Amino acid sequence: MSTRDEARAAPRAINGRAPDVFRRGEWVPMREHAEEEEVDFVVVGTGAGGAPLIARLAESGFSVVGMDAGPYFRPLEDFASDEREQEQLYWLDERICDGANPIVMGGKNSGQAVGGSTVHFAMVSLRFRPEWFKSRSALGYGADWPLDWREMWGYYQIAEQALSISGPVRYPWGPRRPRYPYRAHELNGAAELLARGAEALGMKWTATPLATVSAPHGRSPPCVYRGFCRFGCSTNAKQSQLVTFIPRALAAGAEIRDLAMVGRIEVGANGRVSGVHYHRDGRWRFQKARNVVVAGYAIETPRLLLASATDRYRQGLANSSGLVGKNLMTQSNQAVFGRMAQEVRWYKGPPSLAITEHWNYEDRKEFFGGYCWMAQGPLPVEWVTIQTSSRGLWGQALRDAMEHYIHQVGLKMVGEMLPDERNRVTLADEKDQYGLPIARITYSWGENDKALIQHALGQMQMSLEAVGATDIFRQEDDTNHLAGTARMGSDPSSSVVNADCRTWDIPNLWVCDGSVFPTTGGVNPSLTITSIALRTADRICALAARGEL
Amino acid sequence: MSGRPSHSALGLSSAVLLAAAALALVDRHAARPWRARIPALRKPTLRGKVTDATAAVRAARRMNRAAGLLAGSVLADSAVEHYRGSFHNKAMIAPLASAIFSLAVSAHGNADKRPVAHRARDVVYSGAFFTGLLGAGFHLFNVSKRPGGFCWQNLFYGAPLLAPAALILSGATGFLSERVRDTLPGRSPTIAGIPAGRAVAAATALGLIGTMGEAGLLHFRGAYHNPFMYAPVSIPPVAAVLIGHAALGRARERRWVTRLFLRLSAAMGFAGVGFHIFGVARNMGGWRNWSQNLLNGPPIPAPPSFTGLALAGLAALGLMEDHPDD
Repeated sequence: MSTRDEARAAPRAINGRAPDVFRRGEWVPMREHAEEEEVDFVVVGTGAGGAPLIARLAESGFSVVGMDAGPYFRPLEDFASDEREQEQLYWLDERICDGANPIVMGGKNSGQAVGGSTVHFAMVSLRFRPEWFKSRSALGYGADWPLDWREMWGYYQIAEQALSISGPVRYPWGPRRPRYPYRAHELNGAAELLARGAEALGMKWTATPLATVSAPHGRSPPCVYRGFCRFGCSTNAKQSQLVTFIPRALAAGAEIRDLAMVGRIEVGANGRVSGVHYHRDGRWRFQKARNVVVAGYAIETPRLLLASATDRYRQGLANSSGLVGKNLMTQSNQAVFGRMAQEVRWYKGPPSLAITEHWNYEDRKEFFGGYCWMAQGPLPVEWVTIQTSSRGLWGQALRDAMEHYIHQVGLKMVGEMLPDERNRVTLADEKDQYGLPIARITYSWGENDKALIQHALGQMQMSLEAVGATDIFRQEDDTNHLAGTARMGSDPSSSVVNADCRTWDIPNLWVCDGSVFPTTGGVNPSLTITSIALRTADRICALAARGEL
Repeated sequence: MSGRPSHSALGLSSAVLLAAAALALVDRHAARPWRARIPALRKPTLRGKVTDATAAVRAARRMNRAAGLLAGSVLADSAVEHYRGSFHNKAMIAPLASAIFSLAVSAHGNADKRPVAHRARDVVYSGAFFTGLLGAGFHLFNVSKRPGGFCWQNLFYGAPLLAPAALILSGATGFLSERVRDTLPGRSPTIAGIPAGRAVAAATALGLIGTMGEAGLLHFRGAYHNPFMYAPVSIPPVAAVLIGHAALGRARERRWVTRLFLRLSAAMGFAGVGFHIFGVARNMGGWRNWSQNLLNGPPIPAPPSFTGLALAGLAALGLMEDHPDD
């Protein structure tokens, strides 16, 4: 059995120890809690939202158990340089996807591992544009967040420090931000072409702030530009939650339970939650807890809240507003590709080394929301998939097209889609391998979404034309990150949680992940999720100090 | 990058570097400050006159060693970095050739005790100077043509603008050493009419500031992740200010603080090699993966540039002491 299969076969974080992610075959000590012991917090999910919260709560002296449905990987041993093999990092359990534009679930939007999607994320770590926290009042669309951007600016800084973000010396958009802890990485061929294209269009560009170190940090060596960045990083240069907040959490006394699928949150007679039912090592178990934080991302979080319905909460937990599962958002991830006369070798290094956020900060356009685009570097299997799906190539034509792999260049957007209650997560009648109802994910693009996508495709095409690319074609159907489904707000009737990520309905039930986003912005969400988690941890400590937990 | 690193080239570079370092460590007692301190032992001096016939040659040989050390550093550094750049431009071989010649004539000069300049040494040192200038031009062009032009990103990852300056300094130090050596009996060495000690001191100050700029830029790129990375931007500037002050100040001062900081800079240059060896180990695979990490890690041959400059500075102080002009 390979070490990877071993990770899936049985839990690794047991018997008072967890895998040491920095040393082959070694372990780190881990505090364990008995199931009948009422721990202060159970956090369901260990990704961009869960892990920082687990670490910060444990560091503040709370007893915390973090549960994740995925395996506890050892990066130095388990992550092969193989696109298909690495699909094991995605959440590929069965879901029903419908609507006019069904979302493709998997690599772009959901991970299943200790560390969550950050184990395979592309490391792009961007701040929101300040106005997005007040989209409704400042920009006229979506909904206002109950958070102030200035406060978030402080938490972004803490998150960037904790994740050792490598970014440019000066970021060309938005209010001043402190210097990134590490310098930006060298541009690869694809990033240089983005830069030249942006300069030709009169747009600013910059090296992308990335969560992979450009110089040694602790036991992380600097990035070796291996290029398998949207998969597991086998050197630990990638600052995923697995190698940052999770080790911190363990050192502070938190317990991590891998391969622990939470199926139901238990509600006591007093209407408060009392623990979670979870499946681990072949059977259902129950962990008592004073507080439960759901951090399963925009599909699994509403699924768990809805599936935990009781006689008292017939519509699911925290759902008096009826908004749990609604306002699901994804981000448009369309691309334009072309071919250069010279070699580009876009597979070298992280795929998104350069970015332009021009259209996130430019409001002279005829639709709401913004978008950025980044340089691209799909590896061969993904590139074949794009060739077959977007161009319909097959057979000899496909083989011929693949010959040009090292000459290809591309730009891919991350675009804001607007919240719409019709885009939602509900429970299907079908059951999964645990006997839990499967999530039904319904999604259709709105007119605004389509206008934004068309605008972006046109702009990206102009950029490629400006650098002399030929054989240009568009990938029109792709989407990626998720948000919404348990939005935060200042009014219990129009939101699921308050600014502290505490559900309005049940004071000891919290949601801490991208589900709480009222709008999704035109940048990758992970840094904002982590920043919100850091703020939530501070708020929980403040509330606890006042006896208000 | 295709192919494996040329191991022999790297090995040769390291050997040359070590030889240069050994050369530099010889004859450390040349300054003899204690003698100068006791009036009875102090040699009588006359303005513009030389009483110690071997002093100029001694100073010139010190400068040969400094020039050689700088050339050794350039040779090893440009061998690694230009190999990394696959010598895609034929001119990238030039600094290697120039540095090898510079190293050879420096050894020759160090062995040569005659008080006359040597034409071959002059040719080679001048060649190094102009090769360095040309290199700086190439590097400027490389940075300017990148998208963004002269921005941090390109200063970090483009051709290092100040690296060719080490070859300029090696050539300049060597060339000046010939002028010092070429002093007529009974005259104080001058360079273009300026007392040689002062000229070399001023050049050292500028060289130290430039080298510090290079180290500061690259250590900034490395985010100063190790506190010792602040050393080359802390000690050399003090040494540069002190030796610059010496160039303009009174010649008869003892300047033990200046000597101290120059010696600290020299020692730091060697310590830097050790830190950079450790830095290579912190890359993925450490020294087991040396063939990649020697190229990716911090440049091991770079820090001794500080040592070479500090030696030139010490030679300048010796010259000023031996030939006080005030």
